[in-house]
Amino acid sequence: MGRPTKLLIIDDNEEVLISLYNYFNEKNYQVDSAANGLDALKLIEAEQGRYDLIITDLIMPSISGVAVISIVKKKYPEIPVIAITGYGEHPEALATEAHADLVLEKPFELPELDRIITEMLSTKPR
Amino acid sequence: MLPPIIGVSQSIERVRELIHHVADTGLNIVITGESGVGKEVVAQNLCYLSPRKNKPFVKINCAALPEGLLESELFGYERGAFTGAEQRRRGKFELAHGGVLFLDEIGDMPLLLQGKLLHVLQSGEFSPLGSEKDLKTDTWIIAATNHELEQDIRKGAFREDLYYRLNIIKIIIPPLRERPEDVPPLIDYYIERYTAQFHNKPLLKPSSRIIERLTEYSWPGNVRELQNVLKRALVLGDWEEVVAELVKNSALLTGHKPGFVAEPATEKIKGIADLVEFNGESRPELASLALKKIKKKALENIERRVISYVLEQTAWNRTKASKILKISYKTLLYKISDLNIEPPGEAKSELN
Repeated sequence: MGRPTKLLIIDDNEEVLISLYNYFNEKNYQVDSAANGLDALKLIEAEQGRYDLIITDLIMPSISGVAVISIVKKKYPEIPVIAITGYGEHPEALATEAHADLVLEKPFELPELDRIITEMLSTKPR
Repeated sequence: MLPPIIGVSQSIERVRELIHHVADTGLNIVITGESGVGKEVVAQNLCYLSPRKNKPFVKINCAALPEGLLESELFGYERGAFTGAEQRRRGKFELAHGGVLFLDEIGDMPLLLQGKLLHVLQSGEFSPLGSEKDLKTDTWIIAATNHELEQDIRKGAFREDLYYRLNIIKIIIPPLRERPEDVPPLIDYYIERYTAQFHNKPLLKPSSRIIERLTEYSWPGNVRELQNVLKRALVLGDWEEVVAELVKNSALLTGHKPGFVAEPATEKIKGIADLVEFNGESRPELASLALKKIKKKALENIERRVISYVLEQTAWNRTKASKILKISYKTLLYKISDLNIEPPGEAKSELN
């Protein structure tokens, strides 16, 4: 058996963050979470980018999800990033420009996200 | 010389931390804060800590120029582009190429130009007025505003798409009154700096009492106001006089621009007024603050609210309401009349 898949989940909405965290934690992922962009960047630096996948909200104060995606993709282009958004198309287009691998619109079902992650990681060498 | 970011408050610590994390990203940034908090200082620090340190830092104030002029300043023009364009002039985008373009007061940019700016940000290209060629630009955009841009968007005064494109990173600098602990280190820093500028003047250190008073002041003009006050004190050589002036001026400016401890005080007054429900008076008369009276008023106020709420919930079924409130039916009727509680919709008809 290989090591568990390591996820970083970033969302400034505590409810969303907790539900994502709990769901993937129970699914035997190894989950780190951050409630804002700055904390997320600090975690990524501390872990030296050792995440299998990052899920981030787009609209967050200070450092937005778009910023997190741009910074991650510049430094660790191999980490897949899923952007989740509940807002209009502007940040969505920006996330795509920042090379998010997927932009997922809220609301979505957690099993669906799980399926997407499995699929994304199966095509990526680990 | 790079102006340092002075302060010991948590919010300023956070600003410094943000700057360090994002300075090398080249991502668009919006800096918000009231006038005089030091938005340009933050922008200069960002530039200094970035790979663009030795490249141009070009500034333009979007509020200071009329629309046409702002446009030609930003994008430049070709010779003969309009009457009076006798020779080609490079715009700020061209001048800032490879470096930073600091768009001050972005919230005041006219809508038409917002659209043109958005186009440049999307395409990385612009064309000077009267030119058919598109020029490539590699410019780091740092914008600043004292507006609540989200509010401007709702009012239709700011483009939402431009907002999202600029607001990749947002740095908020709180006003000085929300971080009084930053006042003493700011005083220290600027006194030393200004004293060095006034040749041979001895260092005029304010007493701890003066520092305390200056810390209590609400600084509606933020750090810029503090700088001016300190310069004045050094020129006059008299702290007492300068502080007395500050008190006098802030007393004249009651309401709009709060002076000494006005901010927390108004909060307190609001709390008190709310508690005892002074009808529409923002500031209760001191004479009316006898404790016994206050107790009675506050109690009445609470009773009125609770009884109204229960009546509302029971659709004005007084029997039900009296049971919930655990008072007799008669007492309830008495309270309703004594506290002037009226069923919804009846207040007007009674007047008629």
